[in-house]
Amino acid sequence: MRIVICVKEVLDPDAVNNYAIAGRLEIGDDGMSLTQTAIPRLMNGFDEQALEAALRIKDTGVDCSLTVVSIGEDPSKILKHCAALGADSVVAIKTDAGALDGHGVATLLLAQIEAGGGADLILCGRQASDDDQGVVPALIAERLGMPLVTFARAVEASGSSLKVTRVVPDGDEVVEVVCPAVVTVSNELGEPRYPTAAAKIKARKVKPQVTSPADLGVADGDLAPRIQMIRQFVPTVQGNCEFIDGGSPAEQADKLIARLREESLLS
Amino acid sequence: MSNAIVVCTWGEERGGLPGGAEEVLSLAGSLARSVGSDLVWLTLGAQAAGVAETAGRYGVAALHQIDDAKLADIPADVAVEALAQYCEQQSPRIVLFNQMAATRTIAPRLAARLDSAVVMGVTEVAADGDTFDITASAYGGDTRVVYRVAGAGTPVAAVWATAITAECPEAGASLAVESVAVDLSSVSERVDIVEPAKAEGPKLEDAEIIVSGGRGLGAVENYKLIRDLAEALDGMAGASRPLVDEGWVDSNHQVGLTGKITKPNLYVAVGISGASQHMAGCGAANAIAAINKDSEAAIFQYARFGIVGDALELLPELIRAARS
Ligand SMILES: Cc1cc2nc3c(=O)[nH]c(=O)nc-3n(C[C@H](O)[C@H](O)[C@H](O)COP(=O)(O)OP(=O)(O)OC[C@H]3O[C@@H](n4cnc5c(N)ncnc54)[C@H](O)[C@@H]3O)c2cc1C
Ligand SMILES: Nc1ncnc2c1ncn2[C@@H]1O[C@H](COP(=O)(O)O)[C@@H](O)[C@H]1O
Repeated sequence: MRIVICVKEVLDPDAVNNYAIAGRLEIGDDGMSLTQTAIPRLMNGFDEQALEAALRIKDTGVDCSLTVVSIGEDPSKILKHCAALGADSVVAIKTDAGALDGHGVATLLLAQIEAGGGADLILCGRQASDDDQGVVPALIAERLGMPLVTFARAVEASGSSLKVTRVVPDGDEVVEVVCPAVVTVSNELGEPRYPTAAAKIKARKVKPQVTSPADLGVADGDLAPRIQMIRQFVPTVQGNCEFIDGGSPAEQADKLIARLREESLLS
Repeated sequence: MSNAIVVCTWGEERGGLPGGAEEVLSLAGSLARSVGSDLVWLTLGAQAAGVAETAGRYGVAALHQIDDAKLADIPADVAVEALAQYCEQQSPRIVLFNQMAATRTIAPRLAARLDSAVVMGVTEVAADGDTFDITASAYGGDTRVVYRVAGAGTPVAAVWATAITAECPEAGASLAVESVAVDLSSVSERVDIVEPAKAEGPKLEDAEIIVSGGRGLGAVENYKLIRDLAEALDGMAGASRPLVDEGWVDSNHQVGLTGKITKPNLYVAVGISGASQHMAGCGAANAIAAINKDSEAAIFQYARFGIVGDALELLPELIRAARS
């Protein structure tokens, strides 16, 4: 079974949150990018879980190859991490075609998947924690004519079919689908594993295969974005909290419940 | 109806309307007025009871319905096919959805079929001639990004309905439903549901009162205090994501960007810092009451009422006060 895992490098969302919470998140003079240069770049959390889902399939003894693909400025660090965890090959796609939108990313990913001999299962994160769009997996699925299963918390492979437990609004739903298919993974899959020290040392020597749109036969025109960021801003929150202070916890509790009843927020 | 602003919904929620319908109609209506286009409301599958009357109130020019036995429960493969055919027939100027779990599958796949732009998490849409400027949430709500969509084609946008306040216009004449024919004979669903989700009891999305606990509770056994307070207030218990990740509570308790998007009358947040990804699921509450030991916690920026203090001391007292 050929499994391709698509991983994106993003700014650490916790660090972005901390700046936002401290009221110090700022947009630069270009009106688009965050000014905080100290924010580390990491593998998108849901993509770590997508790789974990692939590793768990491998753990069950299914004969499979794991290829990790990433498009970004310099994903070699995260790709080495993937290699240390057990990816059989890691591929970086470098482009200077300017900002890509979801269609552009999907175009390159599927060109790489085709160049690599295709895939029986394409695993993605449910969304990237920077743009929160969650469109790339759907665009890949539709363009390859594959079914899409979103929000997986468990993925089991048996023969040429998959059994996926999905997190849906009503609880967990179990679905079956015939490969090839695209599956997006959610945080409910659980904590991804860490590489062993020995694997990490070994992975230091791994050189990701680097490829480009030209290598993949993709012309710049095919990457023309359908949406273009023109501005980014930090929304403001208008705080007006009425603090219930003074007194013991019992008095504060009584006061809060009384205020909520006065405001008809409680009956 | 070519060049119309099309709102597409399905299903039914509390109040007898599809989820988010009024919010998306509000956004779409002002967009339609600003560009002089018709507002069209398309429903998939059986139509909810309140749709025709609501269409009248929101100035909808035409109410379309695609109904087909295959569309019961809105399987994604079938819905995408129906919508792709609809767009081919009708050439809408833009298609707007309410962003629900199913929309995350359907909207981008439709855009792939139409080879058009797609934006999720939309909070605003402005148009000028052929150009749309679509504002969407990013970084879980820490920022907003304005995307420009230019040129021909039918862009697809999924609206983050809880970020929008519906206009609630006066009553208007109910609309007659026009059935739109599409041919779904050749499409069959490839994803086979072998064990459907069992919706047990009431849903957080429908709750009027929610009490949620966060990492500030310190230990799994303290979550019982959240359940007890929720019960004393006649509400439901929710949680921030770390509690789900730690396995303290089931994932159907998770409120937030990647959990439940709720809109209660009262949301009580206990030991929750107020990260944007959490607020994405409760920021639309009518009022938030927050309990946190850190007076600088972000949650107090969103809260109407706040107590700075220790959750473990306050929760038993709140339970007592609520029961009295
Ligand atoms: C892509 C992505 C998606 C995400 N989706 C979600 C989501 O859907 N839902 C979600 O909730 N999160 C989500 N998160 C995580 C989110 O960013 C935060 O990390 C999370 O909400 C923090 O949870 P918390 O407030 O419980 O914990 P913390 O941030 O650790 O806050 C704990 C709070 O408790 C307070 N506290 C500590 N002890 C006490 C005490 N004894 N009494 C009172 N207060 C106390 C502290 O002052 C602190 O404010 C997501 C993150 C990412 C990157
Ligand atoms: N630049 C990229 N390189 C590799 N995979 C990506 C990239 N962008 C998005 N993806 C994949 O698509 C998922 C959803 O991304 P998005 O549509 O940007 O929210 C991610 O979790 C990744 O699995």
